[in-house]
Amino acid sequence: MLIPVLAYYVIFKYIPMYGVTIAFKNYNIFRGVFGSPWCGLDVFRKIFASENFWRSIKNTLVLNFSTLIAYFPLTIILSLMLNEVTHAGFKKLAQSILYLPHFVSWVVVAGIATNLFTQQGGTINQILKSLGADPIPFLSDNRWWIFTYVVCNVWKEVGWGTIIYLAALSGVDETLYEAAYLDGATKFQRLIYITLPSIKSVVVVMLILQLSKMMTIGLDAPLLLGNDKVMSVSQVISTYVYRLGIENAKFSEATAIGLFQSVVNIIILLAADKFAKMIGEDGII
Amino acid sequence: MNVRLVRNRKITIGSVILYVTLVILVFICLYPFLNVIAYSLSGYNAVLSGKVTFYPIDFNLLAYKQILGRTQIWVSMRTTALVTLMGTATSLVLTVFASYALSKSYLPGKTFFTGLILFTMYFNGGIIPTFLVVKGLGLFDTLGALFIPQAINVFNFIVMRTFFREIPKSLEEAAIIDGASELQVLVKIVLPLSLPIIATISLFYAVGYWNSYFDALLYIQDPDKYTLQLRLRSLLFGEELNTSGRTNLEGIGTEVMSQSLKMATVAVSTIPIIVVYPWLQKYFVKGVMIGSIKG
Repeated sequence: MLIPVLAYYVIFKYIPMYGVTIAFKNYNIFRGVFGSPWCGLDVFRKIFASENFWRSIKNTLVLNFSTLIAYFPLTIILSLMLNEVTHAGFKKLAQSILYLPHFVSWVVVAGIATNLFTQQGGTINQILKSLGADPIPFLSDNRWWIFTYVVCNVWKEVGWGTIIYLAALSGVDETLYEAAYLDGATKFQRLIYITLPSIKSVVVVMLILQLSKMMTIGLDAPLLLGNDKVMSVSQVISTYVYRLGIENAKFSEATAIGLFQSVVNIIILLAADKFAKMIGEDGII
Repeated sequence: MNVRLVRNRKITIGSVILYVTLVILVFICLYPFLNVIAYSLSGYNAVLSGKVTFYPIDFNLLAYKQILGRTQIWVSMRTTALVTLMGTATSLVLTVFASYALSKSYLPGKTFFTGLILFTMYFNGGIIPTFLVVKGLGLFDTLGALFIPQAINVFNFIVMRTFFREIPKSLEEAAIIDGASELQVLVKIVLPLSLPIIATISLFYAVGYWNSYFDALLYIQDPDKYTLQLRLRSLLFGEELNTSGRTNLEGIGTEVMSQSLKMATVAVSTIPIIVVYPWLQKYFVKGVMIGSIKG
């Protein structure tokens, strides 16, 4: 039973792992992964000297941090709000709608975003125009594009992110609230002294998890939302690897960048895990 | 006494603010969808003048009628349906095999094999080496490339293994004593008990395949084999990957006309997701919880 599974892992995961050796080779399409001559760290020297490489790292970090700063507190606030809702029907409906964007493809999100945010005739700019404001270049100005990127990401994932907090919140002992209520604690005090401390560990673990993913962005979002005009902020590591490797057939360089990213990821992950254990939380690995 | 009930029996200012804020947030969340539907159902002039927001103006079904006439979209939809079907089946079988085998504590080398699988979550060869392997196997530009290389999702594996572990061992032991083989135990006893988790994981895989864009971008060249998401992208943004300034004066009539068509296509391509969503929702919360605890 395990044989097809192992075959799958060896062929599609472990052979490609061996394939990273082409980062240390001068890859030649006709001689393949094994036959291409070794060239030591030449490829790495080349990519470390490349401005585009460092820019893609910077863009990855900028987009991830911007998204995190908006997404993380909003998810918690939304969870706390949903947790306060006592009308079961309303809560269920709200949750259903808020989770929905998570299941929509990035192509669709990008299509909708273009329709909403385009400078000429986009719905948002039409509304701004009718209010007498100047149109905003949401998709073609570097700073506004980052904003739009964050908005799209938050829209897509904020509801989904509440699931884990809502589960933690539903586990809070009801008698604590009752005791506090009898002692005359206000709603706000109950929030600060009971609710927040009881979800603290989930918050910390989620934050560490998110931080450990800072060097990674899926291709779909930056590739589909991006365009030529904002390339200097939308080119992230994964899209750079794709463009360099697949579109320009520079296999060795693209692989080297991917390998660099994987290694940095593992270092961050191990560090985050250590840190989590240090502050007394469960590890994340 | 339940404080939550007590304090909510009367309507406070706080609860009014809470509900109003949530209604606004839910509306903002829903707005882009309404916008799509409104555009797809609105008349030419209303779209052109930019009056459409979240309800259709000059209601008509022209855009949807136009889609019916576009065979490309239907071909792509059929391709994607096929990939989703085959992909979900393959993924499900492999994931069941992996999680069932590795849920057995007596399996020799269990820790090693599990480690082998979990390790791929943190480290992988990357886009290019995987691409070269897929190409080397002759899968390039075939539909197989869209599901075989990513058949098992480690997260789903963890969820399913956790579920299998909770099935009482005595049931399986009894069957073995009665002479059932491992495969019979799996098919006749374990799987019927695991229907909820099977449904959840299938839906996760199916939605994943339906929405998958990058694999098709990477592996599919032949326009006849375009998946729905690829087709959608080329329809929404033009064939070129980085086109942005699409508005030009001479093309403005057709451009705005197709705006309704574009949004109608978006709506049609998302309908399958909306249809399975109620089932999906029934299960995913539990799936997410098991997965986040991890084994």
